[in-house]
Order: sequence, then C-alpha cells, then structure tokens
Amino acid sequence: MSGIETVKIIVDAEKQAAKIIDEAKAQAAAIRKRISALVQEQRTQMLTEAKREAADIAAHAGEEGKLEAEKFESESMQALQAVVARASRRKDATVEKLLTLVMQVD
Amino acid sequence: MSETSKFTEDILNSAREKAESIVREAETETQRASDEAKVSITREAEAIVRNARSDADAVKRRQISEARHRVKLREQDEKDKIMQDVLSQVRKRTSELVADETKYLPLLTRLIENGVRELGDKTVMVHLNKSDLQENASSLDRRIGKSLGQVKVEWSREPIETTGGAVISSLDGKIRIVNTLDQRFEALEQKLLIEARASLFSE
Repeated sequence: MSGIETVKIIVDAEKQAAKIIDEAKAQAAAIRKRISALVQEQRTQMLTEAKREAADIAAHAGEEGKLEAEKFESESMQALQAVVARASRRKDATVEKLLTLVMQVD
Repeated sequence: MSETSKFTEDILNSAREKAESIVREAETETQRASDEAKVSITREAEAIVRNARSDADAVKRRQISEARHRVKLREQDEKDKIMQDVLSQVRKRTSELVADETKYLPLLTRLIENGVRELGDKTVMVHLNKSDLQENASSLDRRIGKSLGQVKVEWSREPIETTGGAVISSLDGKIRIVNTLDQRFEALEQKLLIEARASLFSE
C-alpha cells in the first residue's frame, strides 16, 4: 500500500467517525426535543386536571356552605323558640318583680 | 490486521464510544429534567387545588358567619320584643296603681318622705297632680306630719302634670327632688331592663 492510499484510508475513517458523532448529536437533540414536548404535555394535562378539581371544589363549596348555614339557622331557631317560650312563661312573674322594684323607695 | 486497518478501527471505535456517550448524556439529562419538571408541575397542581380548598373554606365560613349574624339579630329582636312588652306592662300597672288607694297612698307617702329627707330643709313645698291634690292631700298631710316631725310641709296649689308621685322643692323652688312615678320609671329603666333580662332569659 502506498503512502497516499494509507492517508486516504485514514481520512475516510476520520470522515466516518465525524459522521457517527454527528448522528449521535442529532439523536441527542431529538431526545431532548421529545422529552421537552412530553414534559409540556404532562404539564398541560396535570394543570388542566387540577383546575377541573379546583372548579369542582368551588362549585360544591357554595352548596355545602349553604346547607351548613341552613342547618345551623334551623337548629338555632329551634333553640330560640324554646328561649322565647320559656321567657313568655316567666313574663307575669317578671312584671311583678319589676313592679316591686318601682314601688321600693329607700 | 495491518497497522493502517488497526489505526482506522481505533478511530471508528473511539467515535462510536463518544457517540454512545453523547446519547447517554442526553438521556440522563432529559430524564433528570423530566423528573424535576414532574416535581414542579405536581407542586403547581397541588397549589391550585389547595387554593381552591382554601377559597371554598372561606366561602363556607362566610356563609356560616352570615347565618350566625342573622340568627343573632333575630334573637335580639325577639328578646327586645318580650322585654318591651314586659316594660310596657310594668308601666301600665304602675299607672293603674294610682287607682288603688291601699297601695298608692303608702307609696306616695314614701316618695314624699324620701324627697323631704333628701332635700333636708325645715320647710318644704310638695307638688302633686290634680287628682292627688284634690283627693289625697289632707290624708297625706296627716301621714307625713307624723313621720317627719319637725319638718313643715306646704302643699302647692298648682297641680303638676304627672301620673302620680310628687315633686318636693325648697320654698324658693330652686332645689327640686322629682319623685314622680314617671321620673321614677325613667330613672329605673336601665335597672328594670337588666332585671327583666336576668329574670326572663337566665337558664
């Protein structure tokens, strides 16, 4: 083999090596790009899901609050009616007691 | 294998190794980025849900708080009605009292004696309403004369406008003790309200 042929073989090998590396770089770029798209897709999906859950929570909050408030109001009104009924029964005695105070002169 | 072949093979092997390393590095790097992104997105999503829960709790708390406020107003209103009714009955019964001589005369006597003692003068002027002046003055004169001893009581001929009771004044009219039933009721109103509240609404 002549010297020129040897150099040519080496140059070809170098070219092939450069090609292998270029292909690897392109593959690496494709991997990065694919992952980036995947992450973006995952982000959109998870946030959409979270927003849907948030909207559900907000929608139910008004209803739950209303129910709790109604329950509280109903129970309180029953208790108030009992207080009013008891006070009504005590009215006459209270009037007598206050009259005594009005008539009491030191 | 010739030296040249060995040399070119080395060049290619080295390139292949480097290529593998480039791809491996990209995979590792993207995997790490993906994991980090997952953590970050999960946090973001959790924050959205957490904020929604917090807002929902605030909505519920506000609704309950408004209900509490409505109940409190209603309770206050109901209690006020009963208290006002009781006070109104007491006022009515106090007004009616003047018609019951057996109860009213002793009360009027005490009111006058109390006023006279409070005034502290040797001679006092007692002012009554028209009805008491006409019907009770002489009877009162006898009763009061006994209990006050040295104090001289004069009866004003000018009737005053009141349901009952008396105004006791110095002769020059500069000092006045108002012991009318109306004034008494007014002066006692806060105390009566406190007593009424305790009597009506205590457990």
